[in-house]
Amino acid sequence: MNYPVWEVPIIGSQLVIAIIAIFHVLISHFAIGGGLYLPYAEMLAARRGDREWRAVIKKHSKFFLILTGVFGTVTGVGIWFSIGLANPEATSTLIHYFVFAWAMEWVIFLVELTTIAIYYYTWDRVSDALHIAIGWLYGIVAWLTLVLINGILCFMLTPGTTWLAVAGSGQEIHVFWHAFFNPTYWPSLLIRTLICICLGGVFALVTASRIDGAAQPRLKTDLIRWSARWLVPTFILLPFAGAWYLWQVPAVQRHILELGFSTIGQGVFSVVTRMSLTLVLSVATLLVIVYLLAYRNPLDFKLGAAITIVVLAQAAIMSTEMVREMLRKPFVITQHMFSNGVRLREVAADNTAGYLARSPWVRAAERTAWAALDAQGTAATNAPDYKPQMLARGELMFRGQCMACHTMNGYRAMRTLLAGRDHAGLGNLLKLLHENKDDSPYHAFMPPLVGTTNEIAALNLYLDTLAAPAK
Amino acid sequence: MPDLKKIGQAVYGWVNERLDLDPVIEHARAKTVPVHKHTFWYYWGGISLCLFLVQVVTGILLMIYYRPGPDAYASVREITYEIHFGWLIRSLHAWSANLMVAAVLVHMFSVFFMKAYQKPREFGWWTGLGLLALCMVFGFSGYLLPMDELSFFATKVGLSIPGIIPGVEPIISKIVRAGPEVNEFTLQRFFTLHVVVLPLLFIPLLAFHLFLIQKHGNALPPAERLKPAAGRKTIPFFPNFMLKDLAVWLIAINVLALLAAFYPWQLGPQADPIKPAPIGIHPEWYFMSQFELLKVVGRFLPGVSGEVAGIGLFTIGMVLWALVPLFDLETTGGRRGRAITYFGLFMLAGLVALTIFGYFDLK
Ligand code: HEC
Ligand code: HEM
Repeated sequence: MNYPVWEVPIIGSQLVIAIIAIFHVLISHFAIGGGLYLPYAEMLAARRGDREWRAVIKKHSKFFLILTGVFGTVTGVGIWFSIGLANPEATSTLIHYFVFAWAMEWVIFLVELTTIAIYYYTWDRVSDALHIAIGWLYGIVAWLTLVLINGILCFMLTPGTTWLAVAGSGQEIHVFWHAFFNPTYWPSLLIRTLICICLGGVFALVTASRIDGAAQPRLKTDLIRWSARWLVPTFILLPFAGAWYLWQVPAVQRHILELGFSTIGQGVFSVVTRMSLTLVLSVATLLVIVYLLAYRNPLDFKLGAAITIVVLAQAAIMSTEMVREMLRKPFVITQHMFSNGVRLREVAADNTAGYLARSPWVRAAERTAWAALDAQGTAATNAPDYKPQMLARGELMFRGQCMACHTMNGYRAMRTLLAGRDHAGLGNLLKLLHENKDDSPYHAFMPPLVGTTNEIAALNLYLDTLAAPAK
Repeated sequence: MPDLKKIGQAVYGWVNERLDLDPVIEHARAKTVPVHKHTFWYYWGGISLCLFLVQVVTGILLMIYYRPGPDAYASVREITYEIHFGWLIRSLHAWSANLMVAAVLVHMFSVFFMKAYQKPREFGWWTGLGLLALCMVFGFSGYLLPMDELSFFATKVGLSIPGIIPGVEPIISKIVRAGPEVNEFTLQRFFTLHVVVLPLLFIPLLAFHLFLIQKHGNALPPAERLKPAAGRKTIPFFPNFMLKDLAVWLIAINVLALLAAFYPWQLGPQADPIKPAPIGIHPEWYFMSQFELLKVVGRFLPGVSGEVAGIGLFTIGMVLWALVPLFDLETTGGRRGRAITYFGLFMLAGLVALTIFGYFDLK
């Protein structure tokens, strides 16, 4: 527990990341897909000498510039802010191990933003051929940002055995490329590229929906049909890419997908199954709706329908990302660091020396008082300051180890989950969490509870106050 | 690569020779749907139909494991917690039931404001009202089936309301509740109602309702009727409107699936008639406005007379609502036509306000 805990009431810090990320992912993938769409469409228009088409593409590039340049960048910074606050330990780890990749990423971001600005401002100012070339340059640079970030994102789910073998030894830099091109890297790059291409088409439909079908029927039909075709590669390849990806995920993590088949019982982590169902449904619907509303009826295709399609794409992407995030539970870096920042290899040490031993958030006076209580053994329970000292200690345990995933009253509310349990019942629960045996019902989605016997007893006393708050 | 189009044509030709489908397709192609700024509301009947089909399919699947009788609660428990994807089917059924009532209500009000009940569509209006009533009975009877605490006590309260009217209580006791208290026999009767009687009534009525729509086509809202025929836009029903309808159904199913996946239907503790009713027992939202109306009238007129007055007021409102095609005869607006639109707005606002107020009034 090296960092303070960022407490967000009701929704919890994890959901803050999720809410920002949902928008960021949609826009950032569009930033790549649109980057391929624009030069390709412009090239076709130039080849056919179609000025009408070109005019629409120019309009589309403005929409593109504003959406990606403003909302894309703002949400991107938002993600950095929120992950730094919610998961400081993991963020620091990622920064340390991937310094080089991050540095490259930021250089490329800069190039990306500059080229798109140049692309937009050189419409009608340079030759068509040069303008298209700038467009392609943008598209490639935008895709390179994905090539980089994809390595780091996938690393969290599948750091790979080579990296795990040296993790913590100080030798990580020697296996950088193993960590970067980790087991899910290629399938994930394929999936994300497919999503980008699909979104390039989806957002083009928004612009195309605004063309007046009565005045320019040929233009509207052509552009809508052509943009709708951008969804085809994605839908043919996505199932295979998805299967490839899942096959690369370790079986233990994959097992989480199955937890929701049978039950929605409390405490059973069924949300991944539920999200996967919506994922499959929304992807299938997206395809059919684009076919029915856009491809079959291009002239009746209005903004409302286009926005419905964007919302469906958003639902599909949101569930994809949520499933990917949750497959990692209870880890933030699989088999290395749990979501609450506890490292797998430190569990044994924390159990003997104490979880709070290294924490800078314990006052010196508290440290001595606790040590004194611990020294007295069972006799300590009669000491006058036993209860308040233990509660303070339990609260720190709770903040450090539980609040990464739970809130008091909102998302995965602790008070609700604990309601009705008595002291002994909570003791059993903590014992299960502490031992964290393979067959424990919580093993798949909650990290082991670390700490000495007295620290756990302190947490037990603190949880009592949550389960049955004093009146 | 076999020529799929040719195969399709051959199959169609074979069937057509025997069943003579051409005229049906011809008819569907000739039929048109008006396009104007209120076209959106034409989809709501279709959405209701789609949700009903979901009810039929998921209802049949639920019946495979549901056991009325003393095991009812245990069987719903198994469906929710043990049977693979049982929770999904149950959640779909329960969510779709609620969405269906909501869709039917939207459909009804849009028909009202487009004045689509006017000649020759009066029977469409009446059959529609019948379908809404059946839907609500479907919901009321289905609600008891899990026999958890909430469903038990809500049904108990719901059944006691009409009993206030002198002379009605013995009938309810005998025919509906099978005794002075809600019990296993009530459950058995509700089950029979829910899965046999109601479908037997609902499906023919629905068929008739759909037949009428085929016969008369979509009604134009008054403002459109004033335009010259040449200025109105239409699209063919088949395939254009039907494909769009299909797209809307898919969206409805997505909304339903999202709700079922993210807010799975819960099961409370088993009903225990001996325990006092938990606080905050209230009817399903689509009975809330009626429930609240009774409470409000009861404040002015305490006692039985108030309840009877409340029920009377509600009945008068419903009768007026049902008879509206008989006294709104002007097809192109006019003073009376406008007054009736205001009556509709008043009913809509009343319904919404009473429902919202009802939730605040629970404590
Ligand atoms: C990695 C994230 C994570 C951490 C850290 C975490 N939990 Fe959980 N916990 C979960 C998830 C996920 C669930 C399942 C909720 C659900 O069904 O959706 C859960 C469920 C629970 C439940 C309900 C279990 C049941 O049987 O009904 C309790 C109690 C609980 N957690 C206590 C704790 C305590 C105490 C801590 C701190 C020591 C803690 N959790 C830390 C993720 C976490
Ligand atoms: C022919 C079609 C239908 C069949 C065969 C059917 C069957 C069933 C069965 C077996 C149950 C009990 C299982 C359970 O409680 O989850 C049930 C529950 C229910 N039904 Fe239906 N049903 C049908 C149509 C409808 C319709 C049209 C509605 C409402 C508009 C409806 C509303 C409900 C409700 C609200 C429940 C309670 C849900 C719950 O709490 O679990 N049903 N139905």
